[in-house]
Amino acid sequence: MTKVDILQSIRKRRPVFPILSPDNFEPLPVALPGSLIEWFKKSLKTAGAEIIELKNTELDSHIAAAWPTILDFTQPKIRAEYPASAPLDKLNKIEHALFAGNFGVAENGAIWIEDKDLPHRILPFITQHLILKLDAGKIVATMQEAYQQFKLNDIEFGVFISGPSKTADIEQSLVYGAHGAKELTVILVTLNQKNITHND
Amino acid sequence: MMQHARKAKQFLADEPRTDWHNQTLWIVRQKRDALAASVPGWETLREKASAIKEDALSHLDTYLEQFETEALKNGVTVFWASDADEFNRIILAIIRKHRAKNIVKSKSMLTEECGLNHFLQKEGIEVVDTDLGERIIQFRKEIPSHIVLPAIHLKKEEIGETFHEKLGTEKGASDPTYLTRAARKHLREKFLAADIALTGVNFAVAETGTVVVCTNEGNADMGVHAAPVQVHCMGIEKIVPRQEDLGVFTRLLARNATGQAITTYTSHYRKPKQGGAMYVVIVDNGRSEYIGNPQYMNSLKCIRCGGCMNTCPVYRRTGGHSYGYVIPGPIGSILAPQRNKQKYKDLPFASSLCGSCDNVCPVKINIHEQLYRWRQELTENKQTPFVKRFAMKALGFVLSGNKLYNMAGSLARKAVRYLPDKLLYLPVNAWGRGRELPVPPKQSFKQWYLKNHKDIKS
Repeated sequence: MTKVDILQSIRKRRPVFPILSPDNFEPLPVALPGSLIEWFKKSLKTAGAEIIELKNTELDSHIAAAWPTILDFTQPKIRAEYPASAPLDKLNKIEHALFAGNFGVAENGAIWIEDKDLPHRILPFITQHLILKLDAGKIVATMQEAYQQFKLNDIEFGVFISGPSKTADIEQSLVYGAHGAKELTVILVTLNQKNITHND
Repeated sequence: MMQHARKAKQFLADEPRTDWHNQTLWIVRQKRDALAASVPGWETLREKASAIKEDALSHLDTYLEQFETEALKNGVTVFWASDADEFNRIILAIIRKHRAKNIVKSKSMLTEECGLNHFLQKEGIEVVDTDLGERIIQFRKEIPSHIVLPAIHLKKEEIGETFHEKLGTEKGASDPTYLTRAARKHLREKFLAADIALTGVNFAVAETGTVVVCTNEGNADMGVHAAPVQVHCMGIEKIVPRQEDLGVFTRLLARNATGQAITTYTSHYRKPKQGGAMYVVIVDNGRSEYIGNPQYMNSLKCIRCGGCMNTCPVYRRTGGHSYGYVIPGPIGSILAPQRNKQKYKDLPFASSLCGSCDNVCPVKINIHEQLYRWRQELTENKQTPFVKRFAMKALGFVLSGNKLYNMAGSLARKAVRYLPDKLLYLPVNAWGRGRELPVPPKQSFKQWYLKNHKDIKS
């Protein structure tokens, strides 16, 4: 049986590395260029995303005005319209789709989305224009902190998204919109009447 | 002339293209440097990544079994393949089981290594590569010339010509945005019609049975979520033990590969979609044979970022196709002879041994030392050309004796000065093929030193 053969072959030739235990490393230093929010915004811009900062009271009116045909997948009614069994042709017609991100990562602008946010897993990729709203208080510094925010064992599918889909496969020329969303807009939401301070 | 040198000569015939290739990859290297420098503790991060991989490889049997146990609990079907042929047959069996017609594939160097596309083609099954660069070279019936930038050897005009022929884009059109849009439209149809999506694997987390795939284009996700059946293909060395390890590797991978802080999409697949099926195929194909070899086992730490290619002075100036192995460049030159010593015997020599690859490697593989070790092994096995071995033996003999060395030096200085070029640049002088011999000095350093430092005894 192949599995047994492979495992035996590994056991027979088990490597002896001068092991440095992965646990023997001090936490890495984190230098913050300004606040977490500023760092996050800068990373997202580099990744090709557009950023809008709104107070939570302005959110609905802004979204309705900016994208009249938007599908807001934070609403149960919309989620019910696009279940996992929805035909792909229907999903392929989506122009603007909105999801709530769970948290963001300052060092690279990545935003974590998981299946509980997605009635169909293909949605954030198949939409032409992706809009993610994120609580401005939910930003961590690095990927090492990011992986402490959730348990992979609770997640069937999850993705970090940083920017619109892109490619540079033709002469290293950067083009947005390879296969996934052509544009990404991130709405950073702050609570009304309150300036959030960060313990940077 | 050796294979690599011969093909490199073809590549070098087009000088402007060679310059472009060299400079473009150097820009990628510079972007990588800027990103690496922006991360405090970058070197610690590399050391930690290396330690995680060493731990993973040292207990690979345990971690692979743990991965399988978790994956099975998650409703994933796991297959094991000893070699390329078994792997290809497993994929074929999955395709037949699901009566699949339309297969899409995102980037996977493993399927290239195993020759999957070719194998399936012979069975009458067409696989559509969905990474833009891979689709381009698939149209042109070529192989990738770089593991992260598969079509880096091509100019946009050539791609425009290919797309005109295959996708009906305007004749002569070569604007990258225009061509990318055409590919998007073409491949979206393929995604929507897909029965099975194949992907490679960047990391497989033992403790949760999750596979992680990183792309910029979103092609892995478009395929995986559109098709009812998803198949992830991984080499045994893709295992990382813990979820937290991903925090280390996702900081390193894209920065070191293309000078981005992270890929656009870092996708974590753990369970099949509702009503769908998920497979993971774990492939050995010669890896376990080298896992305990102290000379070469470090090569199994590779995370396929391509950083060593972008920095390599030989790769940049000779192009990926010169290597003749699916993974070119420095890392390919130590992996290739593991697969087939005779076929790839010249690749460890396609290097200046400058060690730049070691310096950029995110998991600290001692690439240039392994290249050197391969040279020794291949020479010991008499797999290097006779002239080279004879010349090296002769040189060793000359260099080991004082008298002979002095005499040879004096003769050489005279020879280079007085002999006609025709004699000096005979075919046996491989070194002189691309280089001009320097004007020799009148005396050796030793003679000069003795003359100018008479007080010091020789």
